[in-house]
Amino acid sequence: MLIPIRYNLRSLVVRRATTLATALGISLVVWVLASAMMLAEGVRRTLGSAGRADVAIVLRNGSDAELGSTVEEQQVGLVLAMPGVRREGGQPIGAGETVVIIAAEKVGSAGVSNLQLRGITETGEKLRPTVKLQDGRRPTPGADEAMIGSKIRGRFKGIELGQSFDIKKNRPIAIVGVFEDGGSAHESEVWVDGDIVRSSFGRGATVSSVRVKLDALESFDTFKTHVEQDKRLGLLAMRETDYYEKASEGTGKFIRILGTLIAMCFALGAMIGASNTMYASVANRRREIGVLRALGFSRIGILISFLFESVLLALLGGVIGVVAALGTGSLKFSVLNQSTWSEMVFSFQPTPSIILGSLVAAAVVGILGGFLPAVRAARVSPLEALRG
Amino acid sequence: MTLASLAARNLLRNKVRTSLTLLGVAVAVVTFLLLRTVVAAWTGGAEFAAKDRLVTRHKVTFVMPLPKRYIEDIRAMPGVKASTYCNWFGGKDPKHEREFFGQFACDDGYFDVMSEQQVSPEELAAYKADRTGAIIGESLAHVMGWKVGEVVNLETGIYPADTPWTFTIRGTYRATSRNVDKSSFFFHWDYLNQALPEARRDTIGWTISRVDDPARTAEIGVAIDRAFDDKDTQTLSQDEHTFQASFLAGFSAVLHAFDAISLAILLIMTLILGNTIAMGVRERTQEFATMRAIGFMPAHLRWFVVGEAGVLGLFGGALGVAIAFPLIQGMLGRFLEENMGNIFPVFRLPFGATVAALGLAVALGVAAALLPARTAARVKVTDALRKLA
Amino acid sequence: MNKPDDILIRLRGITKTYERGGESLCILESLDLDVPRGSFAALMGPSGSGKSTLLNLIAGLDKPTAGTIDIGGERIDKLSEARLAKFRASSVGFIFQSYNLLPVLTAAENVELPLLLAPVAASERRRRAQTALRVVGLEDRMDHFPRQLSGGQEQRVAIARAIVNDPLLLVADEPTGDLDRKSADEILTLLETLNEKLGKTIIMVTHDPAAAARAGVIHHLDKGRLSVEAHGEVHA
Ligand SMILES: Nc1ncnc2c1ncn2[C@@H]1O[C@H](COP(=O)(O)OP(=O)(O)O)[C@@H](O)[C@H]1O
Ligand SMILES: [Mg+2]
Repeated sequence: MLIPIRYNLRSLVVRRATTLATALGISLVVWVLASAMMLAEGVRRTLGSAGRADVAIVLRNGSDAELGSTVEEQQVGLVLAMPGVRREGGQPIGAGETVVIIAAEKVGSAGVSNLQLRGITETGEKLRPTVKLQDGRRPTPGADEAMIGSKIRGRFKGIELGQSFDIKKNRPIAIVGVFEDGGSAHESEVWVDGDIVRSSFGRGATVSSVRVKLDALESFDTFKTHVEQDKRLGLLAMRETDYYEKASEGTGKFIRILGTLIAMCFALGAMIGASNTMYASVANRRREIGVLRALGFSRIGILISFLFESVLLALLGGVIGVVAALGTGSLKFSVLNQSTWSEMVFSFQPTPSIILGSLVAAAVVGILGGFLPAVRAARVSPLEALRG
Repeated sequence: MTLASLAARNLLRNKVRTSLTLLGVAVAVVTFLLLRTVVAAWTGGAEFAAKDRLVTRHKVTFVMPLPKRYIEDIRAMPGVKASTYCNWFGGKDPKHEREFFGQFACDDGYFDVMSEQQVSPEELAAYKADRTGAIIGESLAHVMGWKVGEVVNLETGIYPADTPWTFTIRGTYRATSRNVDKSSFFFHWDYLNQALPEARRDTIGWTISRVDDPARTAEIGVAIDRAFDDKDTQTLSQDEHTFQASFLAGFSAVLHAFDAISLAILLIMTLILGNTIAMGVRERTQEFATMRAIGFMPAHLRWFVVGEAGVLGLFGGALGVAIAFPLIQGMLGRFLEENMGNIFPVFRLPFGATVAALGLAVALGVAAALLPARTAARVKVTDALRKLA
Repeated sequence: MNKPDDILIRLRGITKTYERGGESLCILESLDLDVPRGSFAALMGPSGSGKSTLLNLIAGLDKPTAGTIDIGGERIDKLSEARLAKFRASSVGFIFQSYNLLPVLTAAENVELPLLLAPVAASERRRRAQTALRVVGLEDRMDHFPRQLSGGQEQRVAIARAIVNDPLLLVADEPTGDLDRKSADEILTLLETLNEKLGKTIIMVTHDPAAAARAGVIHHLDKGRLSVEAHGEVHA
């Protein structure tokens, strides 16, 4: 025989101040957990959506990232001539790109951070068909002009449409356009003509990486084999999706592990709070429980009823926490990404499974915190009903 | 008997509740201190940076080097006592793909300028005598299991080579200050330079200079930058503190997040304390009414409740510190310093945060008690007594 | 010992109304009452007639809607909350139906409690508590906690607490209400002794005619009015 849920609801309402204090404690746990998971998901999506499965990236052997990689200019031609590369009108689709980092002053906080500058060619956008102009126009090839990703717009000094930054002393680059790319990592980059980047930074006849479009998804293996076969080239090939997946690994893992650890500490605190509340609830209702027992409700029934009350309390906190986390999610999170050494802007990405998982975590806190008090309630003897 | 002992008895009345509350506060304090230690370990380097050292690098980007001849100009600047230079190598041990540690090709004066990285005279001499020699941090030696005399191969995408770079470990350095990394790898700049193709030779990543008057560090930095302003590569000179702080600026969002989470912990602690006090006050309405009837004033009861909360906060906080101290200082700190020295060179409980945690536990206990204290002081005596009769 | 016109408690035109759900409820209406110093008065009346309300007014726990209360020459209806608290601490001893001892304190410590409000040294507090407990015959139970005592013993500790600061006046609200006949008799005898031997003025609310019979005078409260009944004419 189960005790009606109304009984638990009323008990929570009667003790509303305590109920709310406990629920708020649990909501903080859920807030931290859900925010961290949403951010980790944001990192995965941002870096993940920058890559395409039908594009391959070629780097110097031993480098994980474009920044630390150098490819000789004459090797670019060799790579483009490899089998598996898509051709249009006899021309291979692919290009060498140069990536450097520039220092930029942050707007609104003291300090200089690093921005990724990508020297591109006209083929650059063919490799990234998702890039769309959001504002302004595209830079003229060969001119001292740049377009910037929408996420960094206005976050750094000079990085805004109509403004300019110095790539070198007395060599300003005018920002003429802002582009978007479905939330990808490119939206945290500045794009300038590749030749200008190379000459300004004295890179000589080298680029950072070569990207090629594959003529079919399955051509990657052929392409990779050919690139890596020639040991004298000293190059390696990766699918662009794998490259970015790897790049997001470090930061995403860092956030996920840290978030989980902190949430676990929080959960311990909140569990203790829930225990306290439920113990008080049981102590105040000994007589009531005695009456219920005398009426014929079983020990198990009492146990379930109190556990249920505790879970209800925790779920209330869980819902508050999820709502708060969704609120935090409207913020942008800008952080130095470990694998690119440059600042990237990430957003909090809620998913149904994160929300569900957070609520389950709240329920677990409720069950664990409420268990011992529920056992105590179940131990109350029917004789309590008769005591004064 | 005194009012204080009465308050103390009340705390012991509900032992389960008091223990749970103390434990809750302690957990919050431990979490808080852990977070603050992470933040301190991370940003601590900047705070302990030497005031008399200047770092000079490429003005636009740290990935581009400076011409080697700049070092001579900097050494000749008035006020500069000594100067050294390094290049970032960016390599990996192919046998330990996942271990990240910094490698630097530096000139032989490096350990004179960076006096906080101490190498024994014998090992330093052995290092200087070997063209392919390397000096590594004690923490790196521990993590990688490298011994003096061992030969190590590194690969890098920045300086392509047909065969891996080979080094012989000639010694280890000990870090005597928080601002230096314990897990770096140093080798001879000449070794790197001579192996490079003609076009890439004779460049340096950055220079580190010691000035003779710490008060003039900024001024000398400006003078250095002015000297190169007309050359084709401009420089940016920052004192070591600014240099490290600007690096941290990239992580400011993470640090803000840590601050927000620290705040949330304090909030949880306040809720736990407030809840306990409120429950206690609600259950003792009759007793408060009796005391009022006997002649106690509302102010007495207010102090009574607030004092109880303060004591609860103090003991909970003390318990937290008592747990955090061996946990962070002993176990976790030692482990992280030895195994993650590149991120957390010094993982030690910051004294200020420890005192703050104790103070906050008391202050937040008192703050959380203000509302219940008001309730206690406002007990309608006649009504409360009637409920009994 | 007392001059008959030495009046300790003088109530004039006492009215008490409660606001309940918008309408006002008149519990006491223009009451006059004189209680001579050193007397033992009982207050009887049906449940809900306002006995406790009247007792609380006399004890300085509550204020009248209208009228004056004069206790030992002091107009307590005019006092501030703080002064009233001081008045209660120094001049009134309370005895409740359900004893209201603090469960975390021993018998001696409960008795000491009111002395914390007076500038009395700790050793002196202890001594006075001991004396008060001797008066109620519980000297040997000093270090027992309330839950280790019987109801009658608890009420005797409460009486010791009420007399420890040597008040002018003892007020008791149904002090025997929770007790069995035998314990109740002991309590009443104790109150009689306090009245006769120590000269305490006592006002006692009670339901029990046998208890009221121990008092020198019985006041009846009904429908907001008081009537006095001389000793011996109680039984109908
Ligand atoms: N604070 C209050 N608000 C409203 N009504 C009250 C309040 N206190 C007492 N009363 C009412 O006054 C009447 C007298 O109460 P009380 O003096 O306790 O009666 P008695 O002690 O004679 O049984 C009762 O009807 C009670 O309901
Ligand atoms: Mg009554």
